[in-house]
Amino acid sequence: MEEAAAAAEVVTPGEVLGKASQLRAGRGAYVAPHNNLVYASLTGFRRTLSPPPNSPDQRPIVEVTGHKAHGAVPEPGSVVIARVTRVTARMASADIMCVGPKSVREKFTGSIRQQDVRATEIDKVDMHLSFRPGDIIRAVVLSLGDARAYFLSTAKNELGVVSAESTAGETMVPISWTEMQCPLTGQIEQRKVAKVGG
Amino acid sequence: MENKPTSSPTSFVDQSVVPGDVVLDLSNMTNQTLKLGGGLRQDCDAISVMKAGKLRFSNPNKYWVESSQKRYVPRAGDSVLGIVVDSKADNFLVDIKGPGLAFLPVLAFEGGTRRNIPKFEIGTLLYVRVVKANPGMNPELSCTDASGKAAEFGLLKDGYMFESSTGLSRMLLSSPTCPVLDALGKKLSFETAVGLNGRVWVNASSPSTVIVVANAIMNSESLSGVQQRIMVEKLIQNLKLST
Repeated sequence: MEEAAAAAEVVTPGEVLGKASQLRAGRGAYVAPHNNLVYASLTGFRRTLSPPPNSPDQRPIVEVTGHKAHGAVPEPGSVVIARVTRVTARMASADIMCVGPKSVREKFTGSIRQQDVRATEIDKVDMHLSFRPGDIIRAVVLSLGDARAYFLSTAKNELGVVSAESTAGETMVPISWTEMQCPLTGQIEQRKVAKVGG
Repeated sequence: MENKPTSSPTSFVDQSVVPGDVVLDLSNMTNQTLKLGGGLRQDCDAISVMKAGKLRFSNPNKYWVESSQKRYVPRAGDSVLGIVVDSKADNFLVDIKGPGLAFLPVLAFEGGTRRNIPKFEIGTLLYVRVVKANPGMNPELSCTDASGKAAEFGLLKDGYMFESSTGLSRMLLSSPTCPVLDALGKKLSFETAVGLNGRVWVNASSPSTVIVVANAIMNSESLSGVQQRIMVEKLIQNLKLST
């Protein structure tokens, strides 16, 4: 699809973008059935795209994009990369940095509850032996959670700590499902390690 | 202050050390397993000091730095005196003179169930055991010993609590009994609870006994064993003269 020259006009939800007979509603826009006008449904910049040449409908497509709300948003079931910020006895909080391959544009918080850390023996999980503040983890979004945070889970082999720093400051090397070793001092620390590759 | 870079370990043991001193060089000692206690840190081949104090060594292979300060760093296994600051649904929040408040689970008592949760008011003094003390997380406490029995942990009623340094607490808890407690115990009858976090609680039948015991303990930190006994004698004489 070619992009027509962007007019860089900011629109807000409810603004009229044009007539449905002349424009097609793309992302962030919709057609109101009672008066056949195309309205914006999001805040952002209005862009008009030319239609693909071989489609029967030759109306240009208008879309509203460019606001941070259009960045990646975690959805239940998506795999996210997050950095652990706080660990307590019952849960660990993490800042979500990427959803799938795309990085997010605004801050999302996720929390991993004690019962979602692994699949076996979930009531004997010691949060301190699974995560530490500063670890990078791969997790899957379970649900939208509560008002403060998404609920994440690391209860699969390929989920868990991907990268962590030891107390000496070096990036550690994983040596088993539950242990990572510092290459500088040889000290072994316990984490819930993700199986990467293979 | 001695500052030999490649020195044998014996020259630093029982000496005062400051952060940054390299006390052991591992490249000279192969095939040995050392145990490093608090205050020491491994930097590849050099063992360096993190806390100011005296370096101590215990056979066969334990090294640690002993120091006395007013601040307490929570360690798992310590018995401490805590003051209840708040109570939440699942935990009491207890101040143990550490960097953050500690959590005492509501069920961490002998025979504790949801039905008989103790009601501690704000300001209650408790003798508790530190279960978990991980860096970055609030310490977790318990009013039972490791096997689940009450074992003297719990509420301390009446009496008088005062603060001390961590070094004095360790001296009071050392065995054989430290001289000041031994001398006081021969003449007076009282009970004490010593917390490794720098808090001591004393209780006796009369207030003058409590005051004499508390003053004797507070004065004894820098005195040798003999001086402690002499000091206790004088205090008890004054007590008998005034009663």
